[in-house]
Amino acid sequence: MAEVEFKGKKFVVDEDGFLEDFNTYTEEWVEFCMKEEGIDTLTEEHWNVINILQDYYKKNGIAPMVRVLSKLTGFKLKHIYELFPSGPGKGACKMAGLPKPTGCV
Amino acid sequence: MTQQTVKVKNSIVDDGIEAGLARLTPERIESVIQRVLNREAGARLKTYARTCVHCGLCSDACHHFVSMNRDPKLSPAGKVKRTIGVMMQKKGKVSTDFIREAAMVAYSECNLCKKCVLYCPFGIDVGYLMTLVRRICHLLGVVPRYMQDTAHSQSVHFNQMWINGDEWVDTLFWQEEEARDEVPDIRIPVDKEGADIFYSVIGPEPKFRAQLIYQAAVIFEAAGSDWTMPGSPGWDNSDLCMFSGDNEMMGRIKRAHFEAAAKLRVKKIVMGECGHAFRSVYDVGNRWLGFKMPPIPVIHAVDFYHDLVCNGKIRIAKKFAQPITLHDPCNIARGMGLYEKARELAHALCDTVVEMTPNREHNICCNAGGGIINCGPPFKDKRVEANSVKAKQLFDAKAMGAEVVIAPCHNCHGGLEDIIHHYGVEMELKFFGDIIYEVMEKPE
Repeated sequence: MAEVEFKGKKFVVDEDGFLEDFNTYTEEWVEFCMKEEGIDTLTEEHWNVINILQDYYKKNGIAPMVRVLSKLTGFKLKHIYELFPSGPGKGACKMAGLPKPTGCV
Repeated sequence: MTQQTVKVKNSIVDDGIEAGLARLTPERIESVIQRVLNREAGARLKTYARTCVHCGLCSDACHHFVSMNRDPKLSPAGKVKRTIGVMMQKKGKVSTDFIREAAMVAYSECNLCKKCVLYCPFGIDVGYLMTLVRRICHLLGVVPRYMQDTAHSQSVHFNQMWINGDEWVDTLFWQEEEARDEVPDIRIPVDKEGADIFYSVIGPEPKFRAQLIYQAAVIFEAAGSDWTMPGSPGWDNSDLCMFSGDNEMMGRIKRAHFEAAAKLRVKKIVMGECGHAFRSVYDVGNRWLGFKMPPIPVIHAVDFYHDLVCNGKIRIAKKFAQPITLHDPCNIARGMGLYEKARELAHALCDTVVEMTPNREHNICCNAGGGIINCGPPFKDKRVEANSVKAKQLFDAKAMGAEVVIAPCHNCHGGLEDIIHHYGVEMELKFFGDIIYEVMEKPE
């Protein structure tokens, strides 16, 4: 567990760098993560994915399949990986403030 | 930059383990331990316990021991003594604090990689003994939360990532559609009765890494394979119940997998690049069900790709140029002896193959397998720090020119990625499927 301070905001993260508590998410969190995730500039497309992940998580309590992300954004799988180089499970979920998905990831 | 990270170093507290401990009574602990020691373990345990002479030859085989200042408590024999040894000696009369400690040892200080078995003069299987400790912990309800969540998913859906039946088939259709942009008319055949090959994967592939299914489809198409994937549960060959200690559920998951293949009357099962799934289908789960060998022939991806590439069933357009090194996953190297085939395959695909030292069945474990990575974030720092010896091995391979690590196992990927990141090794990770897809002559 670690505490991260960024632009005046404090975040508690787990050892994989995910937020300990989804409710502590703020937009600064995304900015904090982007460099480590290999993202130079945040675009509307990034926010689109992040918003969908959060909506789905609030309703279902887990991260959606990448298929759902593709269906709702219209992006091909390849494009989702271009947006989030470490992938939808580790990269995009982390930035959206979701907990680390369980399973072999 | 107004950025600051403060690491708080506490001893690991896992919600799942703590919740389980809170429910325990001394009577329950004693009866569960007695049941496992006397009725499930029997002669095998007694033989091992009486044979070990504490010679210490197993110690240097263990990456935990070597990475953590050669702490005798972390030697394989030491870990046995601290857990099942005490349980036997006290005949199950142990405290909840002891159970917490035993769970920590069994779930986070041994990967069940079985390297130490090779160095034991008597061949004592410490992996089996640690599995017994996990079995006791499972029956006591003391399992790390992340791992139990995954085991729950397998109990509910027969896959490890909470994937519903319709989502699975939808993902296959979707990847078929995307693959058609590249190879018109390509198919991912679902529920094709009488196909030669039943292709099974693990949950994370459809959940997040669907490109792996796409790539496999292109490889099958190029090889002209007659293959299929099942449309109903049984498609996920992985098994976290095997690692949590839930043997009953492990048996049901394996049965679902074999039955899905039998229902389609296929000739063989080909599995994706996963190590623990292979162990569960080829060694542990099938035997729990009473099959000495799998009831339907099971072929790991490395074996399958070796046949395709080395026997000219798919052609290589241009070999992979970056120098690679090969990580031998425990479950397919020590577990089945696929290390020579993996090397022949690597040489057939790549210009330069740099050997790690040690290698083949003596390779150093990724420290993610055996379910440790599945225990989730609370255990990550411990997992990475207890394997500095792997980082050194990778640095050495890098110094000899290797830029890419091929690891034909999902757990190894996760574990090595964390090690590469933590120690700043800066190497790229790939599956064999990634390389084949990149260098093969694509179907028209």
